[in-house]
Amino acid sequence: MKLFESSCSFNYPWSQVTAANWRKYPNEKSTHVVAVDVLRREVHPITGILRSERLITCEQKIPKWIALMVGGQIRSYVREVSEVDPVNQTLTMRSCNMTMNNILSVYEVVKYVPDNESPFSKTTFEQCAEIKAYSTFQRLTDKIEEWSIERFDSNAKLGKQGFESVLKIFSENLNKSGKLIDEYSEKLKASGKIIDGYSDKASVAISEVGESLKTGITDTSSLLYKTKEKIKHQFFGN
Amino acid sequence: MSASFAPECTEAKQKYDDCFNNWYTEKFLKGKSMQNECEDLWIEYKECVEANLVKKGIKPMLDEAEKEAPFEKGGVPLDNSDEKK
Repeated sequence: MKLFESSCSFNYPWSQVTAANWRKYPNEKSTHVVAVDVLRREVHPITGILRSERLITCEQKIPKWIALMVGGQIRSYVREVSEVDPVNQTLTMRSCNMTMNNILSVYEVVKYVPDNESPFSKTTFEQCAEIKAYSTFQRLTDKIEEWSIERFDSNAKLGKQGFESVLKIFSENLNKSGKLIDEYSEKLKASGKIIDGYSDKASVAISEVGESLKTGITDTSSLLYKTKEKIKHQFFGN
Repeated sequence: MSASFAPECTEAKQKYDDCFNNWYTEKFLKGKSMQNECEDLWIEYKECVEANLVKKGIKPMLDEAEKEAPFEKGGVPLDNSDEKK
């Protein structure tokens, strides 16, 4: 088991960051997230906490032969439970992959809170992920975990920039009309400049590595399959 | 605006999302409403989603995940209940 932790800050007030968070998809760069569904949503009558359960559907472009090996499964699903506490101003999101979790399971916690020093204009982002790979070969398990952590780290950095661009457009719309408009994704497409320079996989992440980890899961499982096949071949021939 | 995992639910989902997003910024964050005011749209969307979760075989996965990390606990896994909130 390995742990990944990172934190950063966004130059936008907490309320804007949390509102933009609901409108993150679709965007041109993270095409692997094909759907986001709300499964359950409640406001606690005493604490006022808004709790939501969401299903995030991803579709990876993976080679056909790998798709066949994983039982033709190209879609992967992630379950996320989030809590918005409007009084204490925290947004916490916990997510877990539901598919291929016999190979690699990732439990991620992401928190957005107002910045300590500039609580009205900045938001702190904290992320922690627990990565567990399952394999009968310890060395392979270690390798996969190490590789996942590295991926997590690079995606987290680029993902931050991705979310920045979403926030920028979102807050511009907010200032312009005084009301939130839902066309930021259109504008995001138009302003290709802003998101220039990140790879698909990076902006996939749009800040929480929840997204990048979803990519990681598929990639890692294909890596694992390939390696397993190699080992089999070495030991048993064919 | 994002699609639903079931194409036939996308229209209902987008109507609900519109209503929710507006409620979230205009009411919820401003402390004006604790009541989710998109109830009718929500019911329509939810019915569609639930039928399709079963149809597409996703329901058992979700039930399992719910057991391991209940909604009521904010999605904290039961075997990880010492996590700081």
